Amino acid sequence: MLFTTSADNDVTVLRIEGELDAVSVTDIRAALNTIAEGKPARVEVDLSALRLIDSSGVGAIVSLFKAVRAYGGSLTTTGVHGQPLAIFRLLRLDRVLMG
Amino acid sequence: MKGHIIVRLEVPGVIQYRDIMLRTLSATCKLIGPGPGARSSRASLFSAHFVSAVGEAYNNIALHGYAGHEPGTIRMEIEQGPDWIRVVLADTGASFDPAQARPPDLDALPESGLGVFIMQSFVDEVTYVPGHPNLLTLFKRLDQPREASPHSRRRAPAERS
Repeated sequence: MLFTTSADNDVTVLRIEGELDAVSVTDIRAALNTIAEGKPARVEVDLSALRLIDSSGVGAIVSLFKAVRAYGGSLTTTGVHGQPLAIFRLLRLDRVLMG
Repeated sequence: MKGHIIVRLEVPGVIQYRDIMLRTLSATCKLIGPGPGARSSRASLFSAHFVSAVGEAYNNIALHGYAGHEPGTIRMEIEQGPDWIRVVLADTGASFDPAQARPPDLDALPESGLGVFIMQSFVDEVTYVPGHPNLLTLFKRLDQPREASPHSRRRAPAERS
């Protein structure tokens, strides 16, 4: 799993590639905390290169969503497809997270 | 319903070996349904669902079943039919019947406790027989698209093969 973050004005873009699962999720938690602590008005999570997500990965993204929402920001995911899209639809996250 | 057992794989029961299991399973799923080169979107979704389900089962064994003591192994056996697949996962960790898991409140956006729900929702049958080893069987058929509805059945110990 690889991830990058970029910030432009009040928008932070987090791009996650590969597989976000119980093995890789520990590598990204610190970065998610840093994003939330910066309190950007908008967070975009680019999942166009994400191949696989499991319940651990979902938990991490939902945790970030809640943290951003808690200070009044917004978070949307983009490019969700394949297996991650199947997971999002099952958990009804497409209605909440997908822009 | 009998098919062909085409894969037996045993790995240490730790999370780091999850990828080996799932990549093997993903490759096996490509043998189900349409012939080589004819990967329909339905077949791709079948694979995505089933690999997700087995992945969550693996997580539960490695992270919870073997938590707190020296992990044993996780043994996966894949049985294939013309339009179905069955996976049996065997472990010697703490028993946990997925039928006992409470369904998550999705409206509350839970951050945990989703694994069993995902597993149950993405397969047609879940069977669990606690013991030494515990045996978790997941079955999915290609030609019966189903709504995401958890389904779990527990077999009595006398039925254990």
